[in-house]
Order: sequence, then structure tokens, then C-alpha cells
Amino acid sequence: MRVATATDMRALGMALAGVLVPGDLVLLTGPLGAGKTALAQGIGAGLGVAERLTSPTFVLAREHVGRVPVVHVDAYRLGGLAELDDLDLDTPAASAVTLVEWGGGLAETLADGHLLVEIARSDVPADDVRTVRLTGVGPAWDDRRDGLAALDW
Amino acid sequence: MTVVLGIETSCDETGVGIVVDGELRANAIASSVELHARYGGVVPEVASRAHVEAMLPTIRRACLDAGLALTDLDAVAVTEGPGLAGALLVGVAAAKALAAGLGVPLFGVHHLAAHVAVDTLEHGPLPEGTIGLLVSGGHSSLVDVRDVAAPVVLGETLDDAAGEAFDKVARLLGLGFPGGPIVDRVARDGSADAIAFPRGMAGDGTYDFSFSGLKTAVARWIAAQADVPVADVAASFQEAVADVLTQKAVAACVDRGADTLVIGGGVAANSRLRALAAERCETAGVRLRVPRPGLCTDNGAMVAALGHLLVARGAAPSPPDVGARSTFPLPH
Repeated sequence: MRVATATDMRALGMALAGVLVPGDLVLLTGPLGAGKTALAQGIGAGLGVAERLTSPTFVLAREHVGRVPVVHVDAYRLGGLAELDDLDLDTPAASAVTLVEWGGGLAETLADGHLLVEIARSDVPADDVRTVRLTGVGPAWDDRRDGLAALDW
Repeated sequence: MTVVLGIETSCDETGVGIVVDGELRANAIASSVELHARYGGVVPEVASRAHVEAMLPTIRRACLDAGLALTDLDAVAVTEGPGLAGALLVGVAAAKALAAGLGVPLFGVHHLAAHVAVDTLEHGPLPEGTIGLLVSGGHSSLVDVRDVAAPVVLGETLDDAAGEAFDKVARLLGLGFPGGPIVDRVARDGSADAIAFPRGMAGDGTYDFSFSGLKTAVARWIAAQADVPVADVAASFQEAVADVLTQKAVAACVDRGADTLVIGGGVAANSRLRALAAERCETAGVRLRVPRPGLCTDNGAMVAALGHLLVARGAAPSPPDVGARSTFPLPH
């Protein structure tokens, strides 16, 4: 799907929140400045987090209280998702939606399913439109793929 | 004589400072920044372990520098938050142990308030109308410090912190970590108006900041070049950051009738930010106060300085169950 502005990226995130359930892992991939944090902000708002999600880069991970708890991770400096355990987060992964930026390449180390969100920028520098591809991986997504395809935002 | 020891461990610096009757007597710092450089940023677990190893030697160093014994202390102050949870915990545990062992009061303080309070060590008491601009790798905030013990947030970053933008642009330019000092140095050979990078949220009437769009603009601009003029990109990017920060900081002073601006945090060491702030403050009739670089970056003296202000005004000490608060929101 094509996303024209940062506002649209947040709207897509809010819609996406509607298909997420506790325990879900969402991997956000795309180059620096693709809009990963904007999408995460939309998902956070859609899951009832009151404050705006800000960049988790400096602290590696931020925990947010919402209708569903949200754990927002920057994996750029993590060697693998196993290192998430080393951060001693208070929120158990099974009860939260975990959003991982720079999560590409970590997917194959995961036994369970996840949602892969790939954000690509246009090759034309003047073109601001992003292309977003959503791929539900694993049995946890078997009966939700139609929901992904039908996202209205 | 009132002797206050302050402990700061919110990020990668183990800082212990001692203030005696409002005067700085010791500012001992052990940094784990070199351990972090190979990861391109601070790694929380590395920071926590480094704090544990450095804590006692740094306390000893501070006492030695001040020519005082632990038994001379009248109070202990510590950064409660915000910061990295594991790192804060080390400082809070050490401070509690010291205070309990010596039978002196303990004061938990807010990291950003301490960044403003430290300037009293260098430039004297803060006038009632003071605005603080706090910019570092983890923070970008404008605070009203009418009462330095109870700052009110006027605005903050909605996405990336200013120092984080420096780190990410340095990464895009292949310059290394931490990005701030390197970009500043490289920018000296470049032209600040070579590239018109966007000024996120400038002139929008709020005191909030956004540096994510600027980072994106730099990434896109670089991607479109066959040959990247590194110095020009660094200088033009730095100009965009300094422009928005100083514009909003001076506007906050004027709007709220504050006659003094204090800039703190690691990004306060940036030469262009300092020069532009000095220029705009002078035009607006605002007095600019920036502590020397060693007091701008995280340190224990700033915690001791705020602790001393609290003792001097007879503030109630923190309860014994005071804990590390990794997110420590201030009132807006």
C-alpha cells in the first residue's frame, strides 16, 4: 500500500492496532527516516496509549501503558531479540504488543509468528510517498490475513 | 558549613560531586563512553555494570579532591530519574546506603532540574524568571524554572532528541559515535547555508521540537548525491538544529517575561548552538547562561548543587523508599 504523509502513516498505525492482540510481535523495517516511529506512534494511539510514543533509540526500549501495554524497542544496537531479556523490562511480552524498529534480520531467529512491516522509500528523492508491505508470518496470523488486506485507514 | 554530596548515574557517566556552602569542591567523573563507542551508542547493561565498578572509587576520588571525609557530609543527593533504569538503580542504592550509614538526609532529584541548578555554581543564584533549554542524547526540553526544585515543562521533543539527531546524522555521514562533537568539528569546514534543511515545527506557536523530519531530509538529500559534501551537510544540519532550538528558547523567554536563559545538557557544548543563542539572546535582551562544558554534560556536581539548594531552603528529605524512576515526567 502507498502512504503519502507522516499523518497518513500514523493513521495506518491506528488502523493496524485494530488487528493486533496481546502477545503480538511487530517488526518494523525501513531505512533511517522511513517513518517507523510515525507508524509506531499510530499503533500506540490505537492501542490506547495516552502519551505520544517518542524515539526509543537512546534507551533501547520504552514501555507504555495502554488498553494493551506497548513495548517499543530499537533493535539497531541489539545483537538479537534474546538481548531484550537483558533490558529487564517490567512488561511481560505475552501481555503486550511489542514493536521492534530495525527488527529486520532478527525474524529468522524467531520460533513464533510475527507481523513484518516493510516500509520503502521511493528511489526518486523528490517523491515522499512510502510503500508499506504487511506480511503476517506464522499460524498466529492465519486467520488475520484477510483483516490485514482489508485495512481501512 | 553545609556539605552535600551528589550522585548521578542516569546514563553512561558515574558522577560524584561535592558542594560546600554553595561552592563546588569536587566533581569526579568516570565515563563508560569508550565501552559504548563500538556499539554506536549507550548499552544499558554495559552502563549498569560500569557504574557498579566505578561507584566506590568515584566517591573516594571526590572526597579526596574536596579534602573531606565521608563523615563530614551533611546530606546526600541523587538523580532519581529519568534515565536508564539499571543505571539509576546503582546510584540510588549507593546514595541510600551512604545516607543511612552516615545518618544524614537523602534528597532524590530530577535530572533536568539538576542540569539547570548546576549553573548556580558558576554564575550565582538563578533569577526568578529563568527558562532552561536542556538538550542531550536523551532529552530536548524547554522548562520554566521559576522554582528550580519544581520545573514546569513548556515543550519537549515529539520524536528524536537533539543529540540523537546528531548521532544519527553522524551515522549517515559515516563519522562515528558520539555524533555531537564530530559533527561540530566537521561543520567548521562547511557552509551553514549550503543546503536548506527543514526547520521542524518552527514558528508553530508551541515550544515542542521535532527532529525526525530533519533526519529524514538529511538521509534523502545524501541518498540523491553521487558525491556527498560531508562538511556542508554537517554545517547545514547543525544550523537547522541550532536555529529551531534557539528560536523557541528565546520565544519562551520573551513570552513568559523571563530575563535569563540557561542551556544545559551535552548538546550545550555545540559551538554553533552557543553562538546563535548568544546572538539571539542579546537581540531579545535576555541574559544567556551556559555552564562550562564539564558541568553541561552529566555530572555529580549538578546533583550536589540542587541538593544544596534544597538543604538551604529547609526542604523535606525524600522518604527512605525513594526509588529509581526511569520515566520521571514533570508537570506541563
